[in-house]
Amino acid sequence: MDDPDGSGDPDGSGDSVDSDASGPGIVGPAADVDVPDALADVVDADTGEGELERTIGLTGGLAIGIGTMIGAGIFVFPGLAAENAGPAASLSFAIGAVVALLVALPTSELATAMPRSGGGYFFISRGLGTAPGAIVGLGLWLGLVFASAFYLVGLGSYAGQVFLEAGIALPVDPAVPLGVAFGVGLTALSLFGTENTASLQNGIVTVLLVILTLFLSYGSLDALGVFGTESTPERFFPPGGLLPVLQTAALVFTSYLGFAQVATVAGDIKDPSRNLPLAMVASVLVVGVFYVVTVFVATSAFGSARLGEFGETAMVEVAREFIGFPGAIAIVIAGLLATFSSANASILSASRAVYAVSRDDLIPAAASRINLRYGTPHVALGLAGGPIVVLAATGQVELLAEVASFLHLVMYGLICVALIRLRRERPDWYTPSFRCPAGLVVAGVGAFASFALIAFMQPASIAIGSVVMTLSYVWYRYYAIDVDLEGDF
Amino acid sequence: MTETPTEDGGAQPETEDPTESGRPSVLVPLAVLEGESLPNGTPELLASAHVVLLGYHVIPEQTAAEQAREQFGETAMSKLGEFADRLAAAGSDVETRLVFTHDEGTTVDRLIYEHDCLAVLVPNSTERVESVLVALRGTVGVGRNTRLVAGLFSESDVEVTLYHALNEGESIADGESFLNGVRADLVERGMAPDRIEVVVEDADAAVDAIAGHGESHDAVVMGETDPSVTTFVFGMPSEQVAERFLGPVLVVQRERPEE
Repeated sequence: MDDPDGSGDPDGSGDSVDSDASGPGIVGPAADVDVPDALADVVDADTGEGELERTIGLTGGLAIGIGTMIGAGIFVFPGLAAENAGPAASLSFAIGAVVALLVALPTSELATAMPRSGGGYFFISRGLGTAPGAIVGLGLWLGLVFASAFYLVGLGSYAGQVFLEAGIALPVDPAVPLGVAFGVGLTALSLFGTENTASLQNGIVTVLLVILTLFLSYGSLDALGVFGTESTPERFFPPGGLLPVLQTAALVFTSYLGFAQVATVAGDIKDPSRNLPLAMVASVLVVGVFYVVTVFVATSAFGSARLGEFGETAMVEVAREFIGFPGAIAIVIAGLLATFSSANASILSASRAVYAVSRDDLIPAAASRINLRYGTPHVALGLAGGPIVVLAATGQVELLAEVASFLHLVMYGLICVALIRLRRERPDWYTPSFRCPAGLVVAGVGAFASFALIAFMQPASIAIGSVVMTLSYVWYRYYAIDVDLEGDF
Repeated sequence: MTETPTEDGGAQPETEDPTESGRPSVLVPLAVLEGESLPNGTPELLASAHVVLLGYHVIPEQTAAEQAREQFGETAMSKLGEFADRLAAAGSDVETRLVFTHDEGTTVDRLIYEHDCLAVLVPNSTERVESVLVALRGTVGVGRNTRLVAGLFSESDVEVTLYHALNEGESIADGESFLNGVRADLVERGMAPDRIEVVVEDADAAVDAIAGHGESHDAVVMGETDPSVTTFVFGMPSEQVAERFLGPVLVVQRERPEE
C-alpha cells in the first residue's frame, strides 16, 4: 500500500506546488499593495470556471463578527460568570478580549495572505501541513457544532423567559426543548431559505447595539450613583483569588469565538486587505467593551450569588431592577435576537467548515455537494445541524461552551504558530497585505495565552475536547494520509 | 481548449475601445444555470455589437461562492461557450464572463463599468429583427442612444422608429424637432434616412405607450430609468416594458462617472 501512494504522490504534489508558487510570484511584484485590491485580484482571477463576486463590505464583516459573538457574552454568561468570579468576572471578560485580540491580529495577517473561505483551517493546513490541518478542520466543524448547541440552549432560555413574562406557567423548564426546536428550525431555514440573511443580520446587530447602549449607559450611570443610590461594591476578587477569575475567563471565552468567523467568509469580502483586519479587530474591541460594562452593571445591581441563581437570563432581572417591566421586555427581545443570530451564524459557519475540509479531500467530496434547486450545501448543513440538535438536547450549557472554546483555542494557538512559521520560512506565495505589528511577539504570546487558557477549563471539557482531537487525527491517518496540503493553493 | 471566439475576460487592455471602433458594447446577462439560454433573435439583433456575454449564477448567502464555482463552473462555462459561438456566428464579437454572485445587481453593475457598456439587453426572444422602436425621453444622454442604434443597425436594413412621448409643457412641434435632430444625427452616422420614422405622441403613461407601440416592432431600445436609483438593468419601467412587450429590450445605460 505504500508503493502506489508513495511513488505517485510526491511527483503530483511537487508539480502543483511549483507551478502555483510561480503564479502569485509573477503577479506579486507587479501588483503592489494598493487600490484596487491586488490581493482580491489574484485570488479572483478567472480560472476558466468563472469569477466570484465579492459582496460583503466592512459593515457586513462587522455584523458577522459582532453578531456571532454578542449573543453569549451578554445574554448567557453574566449570571454564570458572576457566580464563579464575582465582580472580577469583568476582568475575566477583559482577559478573554486580550487573548482574542492577540489572535485576531495574526489571523488578520494570514487572512490577507490567503483570503479563502475556510478561515483558520485553511491557514493551518497550508502553513503547517495536513495533519494539524485535519485536526483543526474537523475540530473546527465540531467546535462550531458545540458552540451552536450552546447558543441554542441560550436561545431556548430566552424563549422560555417569554412564557414567564407572559405569566404562563410551564410544568418543565422549556429552555432545552425550545432550543432543540430552534435548532431544527434554523437548519431547515438555512437549507431551504433564500431570504437575504446578510441584511437580516445587519439589522439584528444594529437593533441590539442600540438597545444595549441605552441600557448599559443607564445602568452604568445608576451604578456610579449619578442618580439613584450608589450601590455598595462587593469585594472585587472572589474568595479564591485569581484562580476563579482565570477559570471564568476560560469559560466565557466562548463569547469571543466569532471574530475568526469573519475569516471563514474571506472569499466573499470586498477589498479584503483592508476590510478583513478592520472587521476582526474592531468586532473584538466592540464586544469586549460591551461585555466588561455589562458585568459591571450586572454585579452592581445584584450580589454575585443572586445573579448566579438567575442563571442564563440574569440580564433580564438586572434590567427589571433598573428600569422595571419595559426594561425586562427589551432585554428579553434583545436576548432572543442575539442568541438567534449567534446560533444561525454558527450553523452556517459549521457548514462552511465541512465544505473546507471536503474540498481538500479530508472527508468525502459528497459532503460539500450543493443542491442545485436551492443552491445550498444540504449535506454539509445536515452534518452541522444534526449533531447540533443532539448536543442542544443535553442542555449542558457550561460544558458545551467550554468544549467549543477548547476546540477553537487549539485552532487559535496553531494559527499563531502558523504565522511564526510562515514569517520565518517566507514561502513565495506568502505575501500578506496586512502585517501584524510586532508579529512574532504577538503571535508567540497569542499562542501561549490560547493554550494556557485551556488549562483552566473543567476536566470534563478538556477530556471531551481531547477525544475530539484524537478522533480527528485517527480519521486523518485512516482516510487522508496521502493528502498533502502544505502550501497548496 | 476548444477553438472559441471568446476572449478571456480578465484584464482587457484599453488599447482598442470597442465603442470607439464603431461597435457598441452590449451586456447580455443570462442566468445560465437556471436554464436561461440565449433567446432566439439575439444573435441577429446584436450582429454588429461588441457583446459582453455575462453568465451569472446567484447563490444564497449560506453557500460560499467558491463552493458553487467548483461544482457548477465547468457546466456553466460550456453552456456559455455555446451561446458565444452562436453570437459570433452571426457576426458579433464576443467576450464571455462567468460570475458566481450573491447579488446579481452588484455583478451586472460592475460589468457595465468594467466594459463601459452602452446598453444592457433584457433577453427575450423575437422571431425576426426587421423593425426597432427607439423610445427617447429627452436630449440628456441622447447621444448614447444614437451611438447604439447607429452602431447596431446602420449596416443592416432594419427599420427604426424614433418615439417620443411629450413631456409636460412640450408641444408636438418641440417633440418633432427633437426627434428630427436625432434622426439627422443617425443619418450622419450612416443610417439610411428612409429607414427612420418619427412618432411624437401625447401619452399619459409612457410605459404603457412604449409597450403598446412595441407590439408592432421586434425590439425596443429605451433609456435607463432614474439616475438616483442604483443602476440595475431590471429597474422598474424598462422591466415593465419588457414584461408586457415580451420581446428583447435594450436598456441604454447612463454615462458612468469615472471611478
